[in-house]
Amino acid sequence: GPSMLPTLNLTGDVILAEHLSHRFGKIGLGDVVLVRSPRDPKRMVTKRILGLEGDRLTFSADPLVGDASVSVLVPKGHVWIQGDNLYASTDSRHFGPVPYSLIEGKALLRVWPPEYFGSLR
Amino acid sequence: MTSPSSSFWNTASREAMKSGMFVAKVYCFLHVTTNYLGFMAYAYGPSMIPTLHPSGNMLLAERISKRYQKPSRGDIVVIRSPENPNKTPIKRVVGVEGDCISFVIDPVKSDESQTIVVPKGHVFVQGDYTHNSRDSRNFGPVPYGLIQGRVLWRVWPFQDFGPLGPTPT
Repeated sequence: GPSMLPTLNLTGDVILAEHLSHRFGKIGLGDVVLVRSPRDPKRMVTKRILGLEGDRLTFSADPLVGDASVSVLVPKGHVWIQGDNLYASTDSRHFGPVPYSLIEGKALLRVWPPEYFGSLR
Repeated sequence: MTSPSSSFWNTASREAMKSGMFVAKVYCFLHVTTNYLGFMAYAYGPSMIPTLHPSGNMLLAERISKRYQKPSRGDIVVIRSPENPNKTPIKRVVGVEGDCISFVIDPVKSDESQTIVVPKGHVFVQGDYTHNSRDSRNFGPVPYGLIQGRVLWRVWPFQDFGPLGPTPT
């Protein structure tokens, strides 16, 4: 979907993910992670971590409508995830902080399409 | 004619290969069983009195139903703690998505209560011993993705072997 534009393409990218970092607590700010959706456990979403436990964040409540902003404190054991495309992403701004244990992998590389092979950033 | 040393190494490598293969098979069997069928969970602490002993219980939990159906009210589930990913507390599901739940926030201190609606994709879990339990009253509703399995039987202590007791409510 469009939530990670321009990092990931609309037409679908294939990325290489690894399953070790989150087991050893090595997930950090800015990492692109695979998360089991809190709303539908059959779906996996790809988002970027913008806050760790204890962080205070301010975000635009609805960038399409106005400039109102909201501040939150990320609770213990949770992370704050957002898609790079703020206008078209269902993420922590909608369902709140996500428990760390829902993280299932960390994205390392994009491997398809071949002309875009390389690191995500 | 082969020399005695090459014969020895041939035999040793064959034995090592057999042992390695056996260990690999056992590991594969355990991996599939514990990740897709069932696993043993150890429960201790006061939060599930009187259903579970605070001094420790060994439980058999299964992972099959969580893939095919939503948890039901009254199920005892093993969850991954939202507060500490290294802990796996065992609690009872008292509300499923869409339910309206009223609970006493801290029964030790006062009768003050709070009412919430369980959001989509979440369950409300609670320990049976509400006076001493850290559960959804503290950390909020739990996403389905954190449910590791549903408890079937207690297998230890032996004198209490069998299904867990009925829903108290």
